[in-house]
Amino acid sequence: MTVQSYYLPGSLAEATALLAEQGPALLVMAGGTVVMPLINEGISTPQKVMGLRRAGLNYVRHEDGAFIIGATTPLARLLESDVIPMLREAARHTATWSIRNMGTVGGNLFVPPPAGDLAVALLALDAEVKLVRAGGERIVPLSAFWTGFLQTVLAADELVAEIRVPEPGGLTAFRKFGRKQANTPAIVTLAVHLVMADRRVQEARVALGAVGPHPLRARQAEAALIGQPLDTATIATVAELAAAECEPFTDAIASDWYRRRMVKVQLSRVLMSFVAEG
Amino acid sequence: MAATIVRFFLNGRPTEVMVRPLMTLQTVLREVLGYTATKAGCKQGGCGSCTVLVNGEPMVSCLLPVEDVADQEVTTLEGLTPAEGLHPLQQAFFENFATQCGYCTPGMIVVAKALLDRNPHPDRATIIEALSGNYCRCTGYEPIIRAVEDAAHRLNGGRP
Repeated sequence: MTVQSYYLPGSLAEATALLAEQGPALLVMAGGTVVMPLINEGISTPQKVMGLRRAGLNYVRHEDGAFIIGATTPLARLLESDVIPMLREAARHTATWSIRNMGTVGGNLFVPPPAGDLAVALLALDAEVKLVRAGGERIVPLSAFWTGFLQTVLAADELVAEIRVPEPGGLTAFRKFGRKQANTPAIVTLAVHLVMADRRVQEARVALGAVGPHPLRARQAEAALIGQPLDTATIATVAELAAAECEPFTDAIASDWYRRRMVKVQLSRVLMSFVAEG
Repeated sequence: MAATIVRFFLNGRPTEVMVRPLMTLQTVLREVLGYTATKAGCKQGGCGSCTVLVNGEPMVSCLLPVEDVADQEVTTLEGLTPAEGLHPLQQAFFENFATQCGYCTPGMIVVAKALLDRNPHPDRATIIEALSGNYCRCTGYEPIIRAVEDAAHRLNGGRP
């Protein structure tokens, strides 16, 4: 191991000051479930690492109709009963018990697909991300956070400090489809939020994971839902559109062809579940 | 490369180690302190063989810098084993043939301990879900699931 310095700042201010001082040479790590495997394997060989476990970012607050989640809150915290049901469901299907105790909500925004199931639910809930640097902060919608595979709008001197999740005003559903029931990479992960009015869709957010370089909103599918009743014709059209517009890849888990097929099948089932609920 | 002194509680005992930056709890347990029940499998957080309890919560020690557990309570399989005889989980693993090569056993048992501490009457699905991060390449899992059910039964006052 070639790491020369490991910093454990005791506050967010201390962390952003360290980042400003050390620059991009400082590798930032939260729960370590992504960074540590790369270091153990010798794929990543940083000289300086900053761990955020003591930076005071482990909290969940409920204020003004939204959940404010500190970036290093462990995924396991979201299993508790006071959390938005879809986040609870998504957390339950993310990784395993020990990894949920270590991996963090903020860290989940930085894991390569097909991992990153919680982020898909956050995207469907229209979460916002608070980015903080020494002497400033900004709020970015999660839908504008990712710019490519392992690429985000985060500047070199910024940290993800907080995730703000508005309480959903409509119906929600989360579905992770993998090869096993638990501890499995996704073939596709889906999270949907719908607001209905007069039996027609008024607002729609359809988020897809493991079928693109980062969690994606299926914008064409969403547009095709607006103003429509949730009937079999609409669902068939919408599922086709989502399958066409996603950007699936081939890996050891599934082929791009199969992932695209499963977007169609699983999104149909998710939307049908809303119909069944009435 | 500055070494740091880290203090934590290992199986209830105050422990002090001198560590290199980012040294993992796994390395400290096995190579510095000689606590080799905790295994070093994949070092990727994928196999569960290095699982320990930190303040009673399962964590994989291969991904955990020891500096992150300063002042915390770490429990390994050594800490569960009584001075005489075996812990009911160990006894149940033994009697149910839940151990073959034994490499996954310490991780399996500490996770089962954490589960039974929270839920003394877990159903089969709950046991499977709790153990889903621990790989066993020998047993096919059935004897392990039976052993945890059996241990729960014993810890609840049932006869073996």
